[in-house]
Amino acid sequence: MTDAVSLAVDLGRGLRLRTPVLVASGTFGYGFDAPAADRASLGAIITKGTTPQARPGNDPVRIAEVPSGMLNAIGLQNPGADHVVREYAPLWKTWDVPVIVNVAGDSIDDYATVARRLDGVPGIAGLELNISCPNVANGLQFGVDAQLAAQVTDAVRQASSLPLIVKLTPNVTDIVAIGRAVQSAGADAVSAVNTFVGMAIDVRRRRPILSRGSGGLSGPAIKPLALYAVWQLAEQLSIPVIAIGGIMTADDALEFLLAGAAAVQLGTVNYLRPQAAREVVEGIAGYIEQRGYTRLSQLSLRPAKVMAGV
Amino acid sequence: MTVALQSGRVLERTVPMRDAVELRVHDPQAAREVRPGQFFQIGVDAPHTLLRRPYSAAWADPERGDLGFIFNVVGAGSDWLARLDDGDEIDLLGPLGRGFDLDGDRPAICVAGGLGVAVFPGVVAALLARRRPITMFIGARTAAQLLPARRFAGADVRAATDDGSAGYRGPVTDLLLRGGGYELFACGPTPMLQALVQRAPVLGISLGSIQIALETPMGCGLGTCLGCAVPGRGGGYLLSCQHGPCVRADRLDWSRMTDAFHD
Repeated sequence: MTDAVSLAVDLGRGLRLRTPVLVASGTFGYGFDAPAADRASLGAIITKGTTPQARPGNDPVRIAEVPSGMLNAIGLQNPGADHVVREYAPLWKTWDVPVIVNVAGDSIDDYATVARRLDGVPGIAGLELNISCPNVANGLQFGVDAQLAAQVTDAVRQASSLPLIVKLTPNVTDIVAIGRAVQSAGADAVSAVNTFVGMAIDVRRRRPILSRGSGGLSGPAIKPLALYAVWQLAEQLSIPVIAIGGIMTADDALEFLLAGAAAVQLGTVNYLRPQAAREVVEGIAGYIEQRGYTRLSQLSLRPAKVMAGV
Repeated sequence: MTVALQSGRVLERTVPMRDAVELRVHDPQAAREVRPGQFFQIGVDAPHTLLRRPYSAAWADPERGDLGFIFNVVGAGSDWLARLDDGDEIDLLGPLGRGFDLDGDRPAICVAGGLGVAVFPGVVAALLARRRPITMFIGARTAAQLLPARRFAGADVRAATDDGSAGYRGPVTDLLLRGGGYELFACGPTPMLQALVQRAPVLGISLGSIQIALETPMGCGLGTCLGCAVPGRGGGYLLSCQHGPCVRADRLDWSRMTDAFHD
């Protein structure tokens, strides 16, 4: 990347990223398994969903590959907020990439508790509110109801001054309505989309492959669906939209950026190509440079041209 | 943990036993670093597949820079891998996970069921290098599916088949000997492992002296996706990719072990 091109993104409330490529919650752990070189190209790391208390997660089988995608039902296995604050944040403080903690819970109180616990902790750059986990009981309830989504966003807004991203579920009739609700309640940005609820059955064994029956679908299979959701959100909301959904390559990321996303998250691809983030950042920079642009914000869709004189 | 992305080259494809394929791969770094029981996440490029496929190294020859993988063709990914041939590149991520702890001094008994045998050529070679007496029990449905005994040169090999076409007729775990004093290394379908663990106390074998190479579906193989969980003793889960794949049997909660992965 040459210095002439800036890939920097401002997500509001002081959250400035040097590149628009983040890694999605649940696909990068708490950042410790990646070599420092792989962190260097990241705009930010978003952690595994973190709850007030540690959770063991779901019984196996937790994952299944499906055509061009995978289903997961991990069940929010995580060490709990205290552990994150005590053991992880002090190390994050020494990194040169911001770490955003994904916050999950069963009740508004859970979300507010975690948000309060993380507020002002050095090393924590922001919060992503997971109101869209399909893999625990009631995990989706806050994400599918505009009023509840606004309430939980507001509660977290009151509990913490950290930059606040709300992660939206696509398992709704009108994702823009939920987006508007959390925007009004104080979200600094939204990320979209979480996984689509799906399932797979082992025909020979006559049994759902996942122990919970259903799971969340991610990977290239969902990219067109995610793109449409992001396109609508970017059109209708005034806060930044961070796109997630099956991004494997720089071209995939560019589709979302052209659709109006301010930044993108790489998810499933981290499982198979640990070097993907670096490749995507380089690809975006090359695309911008080739067109003589200097900033990300110059990316936009062009209307079709009418053929003159035909 | 630093993950090594390596690019190997396939030297040879053979059929070591019925329904299985063995790839000999040239990758000096991987061959040098891998320990018996560790695995690689192998990239596949079959249409509509996504994830890498986890395979333990069957053996490694650090002097030549070669290592081997033995697998069955069970789906699109393994089918794609089975079509690789002399000269093709192969994308290896690893070695990953924990291998077997082979440094004890007791006689070793290896128990392999079905494709679980794939990890043992290297294990037996490493045990031999440590001058430990080895008995190798291998079980399969039928004689043609047994990896030939010559692959375990130096071990006392006994076979069991479901149909009695070779060796003992019945489950391989029936071959286990009474009396402790030895260490067990096992890999195979969950019911085989459960039978092993159930019989162990009767035979005077402590669970702590049984090491198991787990076989579970995996997402990343790196400890981040949390997809390869197995029930751990005392609650919670172990990750097959990180705490295993080789673990001592007393670290698992066998009362919560189901036939989720294999029947």
